[in-house]
Amino acid sequence: MRNSLRSVVLAWGAWAGASFAQSAEIVASVVDQQGRPVADAVVVAVPAGGAVRAPAKAREDVVDQVDKEFVPRVQVVLVGTSVSFPNNDNVRHQVYSFSPAKRFELPLYAGVPAQPIVFDKPGVVVLGCNIHDWMVGFVYVSESPYFAKTGPDGKATLGDLPQRAYVVRVWHPQLEGPEDATRKPVDLGRARTAELRWTLELKPEARVRRAPVSDRIGRY
Amino acid sequence: MRACGRLASKIPAAVSSNSPRSEARASWRHAIGSRRRSGRAAIAASAIALVANAAPASAEWLLDANVEALFDSNLTRAPSGPDVRPDWAVALDASVGQFFALTGDDGLTVTLDLRGEAYDRYTGLNVAGVGGSMVYRHKLGLGWGAPWVAFVATGSYDDYRADVRTGARFDLRAEVGRRFTESFDAAVGVAYDRRFAPKGEPVVSGISGKVFELTGQSAYFRMGYAIDDAWLLGLSGSIRRGDVESTSEASLPVFLASSAIAEDPAFNQDELYAYRLRGTTSMLGAALSWALSDRSSLNFHYRYELTHSPYDLEYRSYNTGVAFAYRF
Repeated sequence: MRNSLRSVVLAWGAWAGASFAQSAEIVASVVDQQGRPVADAVVVAVPAGGAVRAPAKAREDVVDQVDKEFVPRVQVVLVGTSVSFPNNDNVRHQVYSFSPAKRFELPLYAGVPAQPIVFDKPGVVVLGCNIHDWMVGFVYVSESPYFAKTGPDGKATLGDLPQRAYVVRVWHPQLEGPEDATRKPVDLGRARTAELRWTLELKPEARVRRAPVSDRIGRY
Repeated sequence: MRACGRLASKIPAAVSSNSPRSEARASWRHAIGSRRRSGRAAIAASAIALVANAAPASAEWLLDANVEALFDSNLTRAPSGPDVRPDWAVALDASVGQFFALTGDDGLTVTLDLRGEAYDRYTGLNVAGVGGSMVYRHKLGLGWGAPWVAFVATGSYDDYRADVRTGARFDLRAEVGRRFTESFDAAVGVAYDRRFAPKGEPVVSGISGKVFELTGQSAYFRMGYAIDDAWLLGLSGSIRRGDVESTSEASLPVFLASSAIAEDPAFNQDELYAYRLRGTTSMLGAALSWALSDRSSLNFHYRYELTHSPYDLEYRSYNTGVAFAYRF
């Protein structure tokens, strides 16, 4: 009887401990040089020891095309994720990337391409459309499953983190300088919540202009 | 002919006499004009039918509109100060068409274009035009950085209040270009332009009155630099060799250099005549475009032109304006 009671107490303790460990979170806040909130910044927490458990099953995600723009403009996926590129416009697109993390080309298509693209290497993949030069999108391929993207308020929450130490970094399409320069260590071994704040140096957006230009040629 | 009499006092007598067959020519022109008008209507109807019906799912509708206030410092393209006529105008452009992505590298754009210009003082220059354009572009590779070649054909029929200018025109271009960075692109090209104006009446025997029938060849460049996500700076230039039109008072050098002479009622002054000469025109222009949104922009431009013609004739002008552009 005493052994049984001990077992129950131990089991409850293990369950409670596990639940307690899973509730750790990082609240990230990202602003620019002027203190304005930065949307679409990717916040990634990498376990300090480098050991990242592989997901049980392959993940799938989507980058849509709406009104001749990629939606979302910044997508974060775990390495190994299959990403589909449905075209919801009534015109055809030709999506491509020259990025070292993933080179690919989806020849001119409408609707949903037959095969998704598997992003099997960490890094930033810049997307373009060969028909509409102004279209630009980004797939951030994370080696860690612990990531989030900031909203319009510049905040992101990485929840359900195992309690341990992490190195947290931030990336944004307009980030000036290397992503590694944003690294911050945080120890969630004891604290359940950590609040981290970054002030990023952002460069002007480099994008082919979409707005019309009035450029009538002189007449004779 | 009243005009001929006035002009005769300022040019050599041997070439200043009435045309004996002007009535017959006018009648012939009227008949030809009617036939051409029906031909043009048929071509316009075919173009509209082509644009409306040949619209597979891959085609992309284009609808652009521009409204512009512009100023030209020398509308007469006159060589001397007293003959120079500056004026303001309001211009409206609308263009509807389709873009066809033929392959990932090839695109065809077909548009139907409408244009109108209304001048403040010289209303004879007011014009309403209808035309079309066809642009074929081939990309030599994948991505926005791939160089491209384009072939452009544009044509229009322009109906001026001063009939002597009324007629059709077309323009053929071939250009190559490249976007070097997201912010900077450039293109160079060559063009052939032709303008028809059958309504010019001769005022000097043996010399054509079709002053506005002009032909020219040019080479040009243009480049654009996006200062930031809103402002775009453009530079352009061209050198054109061919016919130019100049309106001025009669003078011997202008007369000797002319291949056609007609009255030009657009400037409300009897002493002014329109002349067609050969000339080389250099143009340099700058433009600044401010993106109000992804679909609209405010555009400022300045163009300077200098034309050299035989007998040391020289014409200078500048043209500036502000335009609101909207893409639906």
